[in-house]
Amino acid sequence: MDAITLIDDLSATLRTQMERARIVRAMPAGTLLHRPGPEKWNALEIFEHMCLSSGIYLRGLERVFDERANALPFNADFKPGLLGDYFTKGMLPKADGTIRNRMKTMRMFDPPRNSGASQESIDRFIDLCERFSELLERARKTDLNRMKVSSSLGPILRFKAGDAFRFPVAHQQRHFLQLERTLQTGQGAH
Amino acid sequence: MDPVRRTIERYVRLHDPDWSRIGPCWKEFVFSKHALISRAGEVEEHFYIVKSGVQRMSFPHDGEDVCVGFSYDGSWSGAYDSFVTRKPGRFDVRAVTDTVLYGIRHEDLQRLYHEIPSMERFGRLILEELMVGRATREIEQLSLSAEERYDRFVARSPKLLQLVPQKDIASYLRMTPETFSRLRARRS
Repeated sequence: MDAITLIDDLSATLRTQMERARIVRAMPAGTLLHRPGPEKWNALEIFEHMCLSSGIYLRGLERVFDERANALPFNADFKPGLLGDYFTKGMLPKADGTIRNRMKTMRMFDPPRNSGASQESIDRFIDLCERFSELLERARKTDLNRMKVSSSLGPILRFKAGDAFRFPVAHQQRHFLQLERTLQTGQGAH
Repeated sequence: MDPVRRTIERYVRLHDPDWSRIGPCWKEFVFSKHALISRAGEVEEHFYIVKSGVQRMSFPHDGEDVCVGFSYDGSWSGAYDSFVTRKPGRFDVRAVTDTVLYGIRHEDLQRLYHEIPSMERFGRLILEELMVGRATREIEQLSLSAEERYDRFVARSPKLLQLVPQKDIASYLRMTPETFSRLRARRS
């Protein structure tokens, strides 16, 4: 796929997500804490979950960009890795906006079983998206095929840098759908 | 009426012009369960009034988390010693249930103390209340049996029994979780 088109698409998605996050940040406490069901996440926990998961890719990308990005010549073509592509596509919502395969959250990424969430989780999410966006600008001058980043499964599964952008952004898309459903059922809740 | 104003007015009378300067200093903070509100080792920036939820204050000791108190709607929360001294706090404050707090920054509260006499009086009254509370707890800890400590806690805060994990209450009452559940079984 064309690297610049990919970078433009991801940047645009991140911008939309950040805009939405800023709006949600200002919503009343009752809406932010509303759970659609007793075992379901509230809006704050969805943001915290995205921070925990995407943070792994962001830190990996920042490290590998600092080490190698300047030394690699620009490559206009990005070929997704086999597994990187498979996992990204599994994350993306279908065209009708529904989610493909439901999955169980690993304990370390499950806010209610860990360190909870707060409005600060939304601030950190916005900061995280900004840092992804900054890296995407640097990505316009380097090779997204030749740098690798450990996935959230650890070093046993390493993604090409391009997939290490695609996967977390797709994962966030998935959770923005969950966020909208959560906010909808929480309207007027106190 | 504004919940912050109602809480302050339990102690002092506020006139509308005063309230118009006090009200905007308080901001809403939202935490979902288990979230850390204040962290040991950091300076506490806020003094909180609890709108909803239960919070617990604890400190790490010998590899355990020793629980020293709870806060809930209408009471105070935050690492108050650090808030006053402006030194790194010794306590963690954590949301036990989903929590909404109103917080005021140290510099804003100091300014209000300085500018509005009834606010300074409010500050003195809540400190007195906190002190009496600590003294009562100290005496109870030293002089009462585990059974009596349990009974007093249940009489004073029955709803915490439902909301807070047993091990936290046991830690707060300075007894083992086993003693706690034995007492609980006997009493119900």
